[in-house]
Amino acid sequence: MSAGGPILATEDVTRSFGGLVAVDGVSVTIEQGEITGLIGPNGAGKSTLFNLMSGFLDPDEGAVRLKGEDVTDLRPDERAERGLIRTFQITRELSGMTVMNNMLLAAQDNPGERILPLLTQLGTVREFEDAQGDRAEELLKYLELWDLRDEYAGNLSGGQRKLLELGRSLMSDPDVLLLDEPMAGVNPDLTDHLLDRIMELRDEENRTFLIVEHDIETIMSISDTVIGMHNGEILVQGAPETVQQDEEMLEAYLGGDV
Amino acid sequence: MAVSFSLVMVTLIIVGIYAILAIGMNMHWGDTGLLNFAHAGFFAVGAYTSAILTTEVTETGLLASRTVGFDFPIVAGMIAAPIMAGLFGLLLGVTSIRLEGDYLAIVTLAGAETARLIISNEAWLTSGEQTLKNIPRPLDGSLPGFLPYDVFYFGLVLLVLLGSYFLFRHLANAPFGRVLHAIREDEDVPKALGKDTGRFKLKSFALGAAIAGLGGSLWAHYVYAIQPTMFLPNLTFSIWAMVIIGGAGSYIGAIAGAVIVTGIRQITRFLPGDIPLGNELPYLRLIVIGVLLIAVLYYRPYGMFGDKERSLAGMSGGGE
Amino acid sequence: MVVDPQFIWNGLVVGSLIALAGLGLTLLFGLLNFINIAYGDYMAFGAYFALAANVGFGLPIVVSILIGAIGGGILAVVVHKFIFSKFMDRSPIVLLVVSIGMAFILRNVIRIFWSTDPQYYAVPVEEGPSLLGVTFLPEQVAIIAASLVVLGLLFLLLHRTRIGIAMRAASDDTDLARLRGIDTKRLVIYISLVGGIIAAFAGIMLGLDSNLRPNMGFIALIPIFAAVILGGIGDPTGAVIGGYVIGIGQEVSVAFIPSEYKPVVGLVLLIIGLLARPDGLFGEATR
Repeated sequence: MSAGGPILATEDVTRSFGGLVAVDGVSVTIEQGEITGLIGPNGAGKSTLFNLMSGFLDPDEGAVRLKGEDVTDLRPDERAERGLIRTFQITRELSGMTVMNNMLLAAQDNPGERILPLLTQLGTVREFEDAQGDRAEELLKYLELWDLRDEYAGNLSGGQRKLLELGRSLMSDPDVLLLDEPMAGVNPDLTDHLLDRIMELRDEENRTFLIVEHDIETIMSISDTVIGMHNGEILVQGAPETVQQDEEMLEAYLGGDV
Repeated sequence: MAVSFSLVMVTLIIVGIYAILAIGMNMHWGDTGLLNFAHAGFFAVGAYTSAILTTEVTETGLLASRTVGFDFPIVAGMIAAPIMAGLFGLLLGVTSIRLEGDYLAIVTLAGAETARLIISNEAWLTSGEQTLKNIPRPLDGSLPGFLPYDVFYFGLVLLVLLGSYFLFRHLANAPFGRVLHAIREDEDVPKALGKDTGRFKLKSFALGAAIAGLGGSLWAHYVYAIQPTMFLPNLTFSIWAMVIIGGAGSYIGAIAGAVIVTGIRQITRFLPGDIPLGNELPYLRLIVIGVLLIAVLYYRPYGMFGDKERSLAGMSGGGE
Repeated sequence: MVVDPQFIWNGLVVGSLIALAGLGLTLLFGLLNFINIAYGDYMAFGAYFALAANVGFGLPIVVSILIGAIGGGILAVVVHKFIFSKFMDRSPIVLLVVSIGMAFILRNVIRIFWSTDPQYYAVPVEEGPSLLGVTFLPEQVAIIAASLVVLGLLFLLLHRTRIGIAMRAASDDTDLARLRGIDTKRLVIYISLVGGIIAAFAGIMLGLDSNLRPNMGFIALIPIFAAVILGGIGDPTGAVIGGYVIGIGQEVSVAFIPSEYKPVVGLVLLIIGLLARPDGLFGEATR
């Protein structure tokens, strides 16, 4: 169905708050199996665009397409079920739940989330939980959070919370993953480690990533395509080198406007 | 101090039924973070459903008001009560999909009061403001001689209490409960991970309401006469006090809270007759509960048996 | 379709009560940001203070009203200072449950010091004149007149005095007000005082309209909250308009549904209002 078509696309989406236009007629296409970087100064509208793509905000105009299907009227959880998962810029760890439970929550199609299986098919439920537990263990070890698995997420440090947010999103087996500043506060070695992992997932499992990141070097080194935003509009979309040299983009960053 | 055995049994039965109510509310508030103020309404729907289905209309004449009544076995009443209460819970639960916190509290409170108003007014169905009498008691008169009725009934209540405790705990510890807890913590997260949070809230509402309805049925068949004034919002607030004092989020806490609060309310009945302020005792008891509630919230906000670590997680910890 | 004007008159009376009570509640709710179940009991206490002055000490009704209103204000300040202020750093849910505890306490204190039987003020019971098919009872006229006067005074306070403007600002958007240098801590005391006085006054009017019972305020809470939420939390004008809408709606509904179901009208209006405009009728509620 989406062979040849972009896996995620927005068509001319616009969204305002009061008098302020946060996203203005934005049309982007994200290709499957690519890592796309999204850059722009603060206030450019990147988080708003994420919210529009994932369904946490409704556009005033325009449409969002996921795997070719128009999902503009679908709820966030409906889009997530179809493979679109996002993280949050300010981490939303579930403080009163353990790290492990945070991870297990993300498992999809869990029979134990429905009441009937909990009463009649306990064996199946347990099998599924065990299998997910193994997946979570692997991910947590990779993220160096395994020792904290029984700790309440609210007690983690900032960087650890970012890692948990990433781990949770990977647990959900996404086709398209929107990462909002995933490495903020994470130490550089681990960051490299994780970026390698992201590239692996792209190469071996054909997963798609859209990453907001402020560190230009990181973005340029990892991205196949880069999108530059400013004042709610797309300034440029293309290969990293092109974007890096784009004059408007440079002005946006240096221009120091509000 | 001669404590009458039957007084003890009555108290235990009341504690048991309130504990069942508290378990239902704990799923709403402790697990899912829903501010449900309709619990008295679920209790009432269960009680009246069971009563109407099992109590035929026998009064005739000018004072009779009820025209609807059946003669089904008590078991039927006890099955229908949680179903009706659960449906009512679903109805009110629909509002929880769009409304948050405080708003939900007001709407559910008003919803329960509306139910009570309907019960009070549609006398053809419920006897209205008059007492609905002659509700049958299970196994009344068929018990072996050595077994006092109240002991048997307490056994019945205890059975239901234990059953609901284990059932609800099982659900709360399962992936289902995990999603509820996530909704409680931050509803956007489970949404972003593909969970239809509205559906889960509805299920939580329905389950908690259903068990309250079952409690209502147990109540109706014990006191064998019910009237709308038994189901005022104050009852909901009392259950809240139980859940908070016992420790929100813990089913043991809910039961403990029921024991503590009901204990306070009933304990003064065990005191000898002519003490000073005797007439004011019912009100003093309620004042004590109010004070206790505020004190617990101040000094031990996670309740007597709540999870201290969980409630502190994320507040002083972390690197920020 | 012609509606019996008597209903509209009744609606104005009830509406005045709800509007007044709602005004006090919206100020408190707007600034302190939690549902205060004890507000109904502030109303009741005001009514009972006035009763003590009027029936207990034989004072004239107008003086008793003043005493009751001031008493209610002081009560609200005391309760805030000694109880609610200790929980200001906690979530609104905790404050809500604390207010439940407070409501338990206040209501049962009333039950201890006064009987639970209905009580009445010592005012002459008179026939009211009839005009155009509407009976105007003296108490009703007094209630509407007094309410309008008090509402007028309050609006002067809120719009023409510095402290009043600060109160409105803080109720409407507390963070912004704090940023602008308004001392919200002191303001809380003022708002508690004013809110308590208003609540007490509304309670006394309620007692004049019908009678006094210990739970009189509590049972009026639902339509009052409905008016506040409908009008937008923290919006005094909205609360007043909401109050009259619900009051008139409730009374006029008697033409179509049994009068016992009057309270349901408030609920239905509230649900429709909330689902249609989650920020209140005027889109001003900030939560």
